Amino acid sequence: MKKVITGNQAVAYGVILSRVDVISAYPITPQTTIVEELSELTASGRMKTVFLKVESEHSAMAALIGASTGGVRCFTATSSHGLAYMHEMLHWASGARLPIVLVNVNRAIAPPWNIWSDQSDSLSQRDTGWVQLYCEHNQEVLDTVLQAYRIAESVKLPVMVVLDAYVLSHTSEPVEIPTAEEVDAFLPPYCPEYTIDTQEPMAFSTIATPDHFLEFRYKIQKAMEQVPEIAKKVNDEFRSRFNRGYGAIERYGKEEADILLMTSGTVTGTSRIVVEKLNRKGYDVCGLKIKRFRPFPVEEICKEIKGAKKVAIIDRNLSAGVGGIFAQELRASLYSREKRPQIFGFVSGLGGRDITPELIEEAIQYTVDHPQPEEEILWLGLKK
Amino acid sequence: MDRTVEMTKQFVFKGASQMPMISVSLGHMDWNKTGAWRAQRPFYEDKTSPCSAACPVGNDIVGFIQKITEEDFEGAWNLIREENPFPGVCGRVCFHPCESKCNRREYDEPIAIHALERFVSDFASNLNKKIRKGPGARKNKIAVIGSGPAGMSCAYHLAKLDYDVTVFESSSLAGGMLRTGIPSYRLPKDVLDREISNIAELGVEIRTGIPFGEGLNLDGLKNYQAIFIATGAHRGRDLHVPGGKGRGVFSGLDLLKKINLGRKVTLGDKIAIVGGGNTAIDVARSVVRLGKKATILYRRSKEEMPAFGEEMVEALEEGVKIRYLVNPIRIQQKDSLHRLECLRMELGEKDESGRRKPVPIPGSNFFFEADNVIIAAGEEVELFFLPKGLEKREGIVLTQRDGNTGARGIFAGGDLTSNQRTVAHAIGSGKKVALAIDCYLNGKDSEEALRQILTGEGPSISMFRYLHPQERLMNPHVVTFDELNTDYFEPSRRQRETKDLIKKRIKGFREITSGFTEGIAMEEAERCFSCGTCVGCENCYVFCPDASIIKIGEVLSHQVDYDFCKGCGICFSECPRGVISLKEEAR
Repeated sequence: MKKVITGNQAVAYGVILSRVDVISAYPITPQTTIVEELSELTASGRMKTVFLKVESEHSAMAALIGASTGGVRCFTATSSHGLAYMHEMLHWASGARLPIVLVNVNRAIAPPWNIWSDQSDSLSQRDTGWVQLYCEHNQEVLDTVLQAYRIAESVKLPVMVVLDAYVLSHTSEPVEIPTAEEVDAFLPPYCPEYTIDTQEPMAFSTIATPDHFLEFRYKIQKAMEQVPEIAKKVNDEFRSRFNRGYGAIERYGKEEADILLMTSGTVTGTSRIVVEKLNRKGYDVCGLKIKRFRPFPVEEICKEIKGAKKVAIIDRNLSAGVGGIFAQELRASLYSREKRPQIFGFVSGLGGRDITPELIEEAIQYTVDHPQPEEEILWLGLKK
Repeated sequence: MDRTVEMTKQFVFKGASQMPMISVSLGHMDWNKTGAWRAQRPFYEDKTSPCSAACPVGNDIVGFIQKITEEDFEGAWNLIREENPFPGVCGRVCFHPCESKCNRREYDEPIAIHALERFVSDFASNLNKKIRKGPGARKNKIAVIGSGPAGMSCAYHLAKLDYDVTVFESSSLAGGMLRTGIPSYRLPKDVLDREISNIAELGVEIRTGIPFGEGLNLDGLKNYQAIFIATGAHRGRDLHVPGGKGRGVFSGLDLLKKINLGRKVTLGDKIAIVGGGNTAIDVARSVVRLGKKATILYRRSKEEMPAFGEEMVEALEEGVKIRYLVNPIRIQQKDSLHRLECLRMELGEKDESGRRKPVPIPGSNFFFEADNVIIAAGEEVELFFLPKGLEKREGIVLTQRDGNTGARGIFAGGDLTSNQRTVAHAIGSGKKVALAIDCYLNGKDSEEALRQILTGEGPSISMFRYLHPQERLMNPHVVTFDELNTDYFEPSRRQRETKDLIKKRIKGFREITSGFTEGIAMEEAERCFSCGTCVGCENCYVFCPDASIIKIGEVLSHQVDYDFCKGCGICFSECPRGVISLKEEAR
């Protein structure tokens, strides 16, 4: 069934279809309509879920840590300051290997006060041990929520599904909504390895002395390393069942080109148009969408770079002192390669400023015109 | 992972491949005696509630209120009568200092303790639950002079201690001031009769119409091994003004006595009452019920008035007028009319009672006219009939703390020996003397015995603990509001007894308040914080992070497992009622 729905509604559909047992959340713009929808569905009895009202995002995640330890499927959604407030508990969820799924609607972090799209909130949490998946459109949002539970419950790590504020969260698009039967066949009920059982009581997250702590972290890294293979298997199965799917990365435009344009989130949608237009004009450029940020798809990217001499990468985020975070990760990924393309790291669209086709064209033109970037950070659309 | 491994010590894994995915306990942790970390030790220790500590009678107030919450009204009655033979009286006329000290006062409104006590007494009477006692071997013979609250309380406790008690009463009916001084709209005679007959049923002989000092004297009491004199303070204090003893000028106590005993009184329409105590209020409200107009003349202001607040409110409702800062200096009589020459007063420095002293305003003389003048300026002890050798000072008989007069075997108590002349103090005094007599006749040190059984810091005492020194142990520390954890209580309204309409009230001497129903009583009892007494709420059990609060079956044992208790103090801070104490561990 196709419906015209917003990105936030697509999240809600994904959650309903995933048969989530416990939801706990605190409202924050622009995420609020997700949990509003879910709380109404729960209150009306259409959704068999326990909805825990809490006084903060920190408590929301803490509550889910308890619930997930109890062996049930859990969900929360947040944005910006809410995600930042969860920080401590994000570490806890991954350290305790709890397959919680969180939807973060990308929003800038104040001050200055700003409620528009910006990836700084989710990227600030890149070291918390969560898998991070960025979405381009509303269909992908719904589908990614379903896939997120499969991945999370396979590798026993929490997954963050990320979408842009307003451009997706509050914009309606046609979305194919799978039936409950179809999803049930794809996503089996959650079977925890460890859970609270009064017949066999255990203490959870007990102390691990220096004798063992390193080994627990090693296990988390090993689980992260399984993600690429498992995510691919999950996506393959998804594609066979639903006739659509999403890789960790996706190349579009030409098969191979001198210049590779890398983007994430909704900027990719705009870039597709620009790349197509420039290809018609004879530019040697192709596009690469990055969906999975954690673990960073190093191997997949290296494969797709092929003979590219330059990579233009647009970051809607800023790690002050370094630059765009995607660019930073890309540089690190490519360092061990013998032939390394030039990296043109553009920073643009912070705090929700539109990244227009013209700006993207400007970025590509700059890349074409320069053998190497004049600066480490290339500010796109900056009003000097 | 093999989770069935027997784990009795700390685990060390060789490597990651052997380790579980997450840090979980794989066996039990009993090997880890975390109690060794403890710096402070929690322990259960019931403490004294401020209500009980404030009760001159020494009632176990928290105890009987908890019985009400359990719908065990008979249990509540049994608890009360351990200490007090007059719950029906106290529930109606006591000035309830317990409620003034109730910790709930600082939270919303104090518990209506007086109304709960009345409820229990009325409940017991309705079920005909009288105190009965089998015919035991009677020990020594004791004479009690005076059948007021002090005398009867003493007789009651002595009878329960198996003494052969005879009460001598000068009046034709027993009860003392309870009968003659308190109007029946406050204390119905059947309630008083009921509680006196309950005492008599314990084997106490009450001989009325025998005035001490006249037909009866110490020589006539030689067969008695101990004597308790509790003859009260029945003489109205004179006003000491010209005309203060004229015709138509009466003593308030005498008038009340006549009215209360149903004798005929002849009064004009307009009555002036001089005084500001409870007697003045009782007189005023009584004469209003006889269809008269009553005006109280009081020489200080409202704040200094010794009468109880609620009764003043009721008096005003019933049409009694009160004129403050007015002092009669002369009473002139013309035919049946009295002219009171009065001075207006103003308040000066504080006097020895802590109240501001009234000072006359020169030249402020004025006249107040009335058909009768009733003097209610306090009461005095009649001393002339008392046996010689008793030490007296400032109008009262001096005794030691236990009521011992210094004369061998002769004790005194009640209004006779104190200026704190309330029913509750009299009952408490009688109880204390009963204990002192028991000590005296058994060669025990009564001072030491009293010290052992003080409620809180005293002065009231627990007869229960005198009889059962090892039971219901209680730290004398009085629990303060700050020591409670009020997070576990919800605000609620204090239940109020219903009163008759004013119109109906002033038509006669029927009791004006109606007691609680069972439902209301239980609701009100539920409001009690139960300061210092465990009610088994199990907060300690629920919150203890080390599962160190021990239950036996489904019941709290009030024991802590010190092998594992780390002394975090959560049980202490989450106890709503201050039952758990902490003490530092010895190092």
